[in-house]
Amino acid sequence: MPAAISVTGLVKRYGDHAVVDGLDLEVQQGEVFAFLGKNGAGKTTTTEILEGYRTRDGGDVSVLGEDPATAGASWRAKLGIVLQESRPLGALTVNETLRLFAAYFPNPHTVDEVIQLVGLEEQANQRAGRLSGGQVRRLDVGIALIGRPELVFLDEPTTGFDPEARRQFWDVISGLRDLGTTVFLTTHYMDEAQVLADRVAVLRDGKIAALGTPAELQALRGDVEIRFALPHGVELAALPALSTQPRLTGGEVRVETTAPTADLAVLCSWAEARGLELPALTVERPTLEDVFLAISGETT
Amino acid sequence: MNMLVEQVRADLLAFSRRPETLFFTVFLPVIFLVLFEAIFGGQSVTLAGGDVIAQSYLQVPAFMVMGVISASFVALSITVVNRRETGIFKRVRGTPAPAWLLIAGQVVTSLVIALLMVIVMLALGSFAYGVRVDVGHLPWLVAGVLIGAIAFSCLGMMLAALTPSTEAAPPLANVVVLPLYFISGVFVPIESLPTWLGNIASWLPVAPFVKVATWAYVPATTTPWRALGLLIAWGMLGLIIASWRFRWTPRRS
Repeated sequence: MPAAISVTGLVKRYGDHAVVDGLDLEVQQGEVFAFLGKNGAGKTTTTEILEGYRTRDGGDVSVLGEDPATAGASWRAKLGIVLQESRPLGALTVNETLRLFAAYFPNPHTVDEVIQLVGLEEQANQRAGRLSGGQVRRLDVGIALIGRPELVFLDEPTTGFDPEARRQFWDVISGLRDLGTTVFLTTHYMDEAQVLADRVAVLRDGKIAALGTPAELQALRGDVEIRFALPHGVELAALPALSTQPRLTGGEVRVETTAPTADLAVLCSWAEARGLELPALTVERPTLEDVFLAISGETT
Repeated sequence: MNMLVEQVRADLLAFSRRPETLFFTVFLPVIFLVLFEAIFGGQSVTLAGGDVIAQSYLQVPAFMVMGVISASFVALSITVVNRRETGIFKRVRGTPAPAWLLIAGQVVTSLVIALLMVIVMLALGSFAYGVRVDVGHLPWLVAGVLIGAIAFSCLGMMLAALTPSTEAAPPLANVVVLPLYFISGVFVPIESLPTWLGNIASWLPVAPFVKVATWAYVPATTTPWRALGLLIAWGMLGLIIASWRFRWTPRRS
């Protein structure tokens, strides 16, 4: 099965600055692919090149077997696009909006099917201008789905959502996976990628800095963090020697270690010998969030 | 074809649900006509040829033109800028819908509203103020209004292409159009203007349009070929500048 998206050596410059700088990427059909990176890493630029909105300065791009720079209406009929910033016409109802977009496509879903898919049954006759932020975004996804797309682009679809709205939105995306639709999801929420994505790519300075399943990415950082509050009357210097130097932040001791078992044994026997308790002792693997922050160059 | 029908249907629905555009486009010219008739309705004017006619014969076509310009120029440019800046155009450009559909949707919508304005003004003129169009001139009126509406749609597209933001769209459209109404025989009979001002106005797009519409009501004068030609020329200029500067995506990105 050919890849849904295949990119090699993609370059996009604005002036002298390369926003996308030799990016390679392959997305398989039926995959939910999350594209992560902090603001300004080149996410939206890359996405809009794949969608055919922007031109590129170098590299090869194939989306559903065609070059987005030259592909025509029949190619667009196979895509669904949710832009980062767009509002549907506020004066039209959910029904009317979907009916209009259905007219653009050769073989659309019925309006009712899509309304059900995005869970807007109760709002079907409400004007888009009176929907909540989360409902507007679901209508946006509905618009993207009306043409029975093989590939859906979602550019930061849940920015500004409350937790409840995000969870509902995730259900919609999971529904897409069940339909066999390929999803290219841009986000800066780690938990979103972790819940939804088959694979995750982290973008940094216009290149892919890390790529893999959420579990693989998480395993990239082998270290574990031991945390506890400094017991009363004990100085940091009084702690026993560990495999790495502990850090003290706001009364909390943090030990980032690749030998957690040995370090814990030393710490615990040291504390026990002095009759001390280590308050709030926790041992944690880094979350995908921590991994992302480390890879994308953000500091904690 | 089905696509165009759906597009125009949606655009008309959206138009009819925006109270502010509905007021400025449809009701304002009607209110102006009613007021002007109440104030000046009894007066008569002497035409260049020496004929004396009731002023209503000039006022009804003048405010008909205002209605058509409101629909095709003012409302169209505001709507187009709004659709561009909110990303609606960009969104549709990501579907298989062809680019011409969006333009055609807007232009056909404004033509439908313009036609509605013509009907309202024809009826109001005829039943309220006793100002009738000679039946033989009706086709001329329809053709003239159609040409004018298309020309002003092109100019509306041009203005939209030159307007930087949603906020700037309504004031810009009105700044262009209001002074033109004053010097082109809509608010003030063109005969009472200083000659130099009348001369300038006669080359700008509103005065020829008023002339074409008035001709259907006051057929004594010669056929306004020059005015029709000027309208078409302005429309083509608008089209050229619009297609040169037009963009589908928001300005800020």
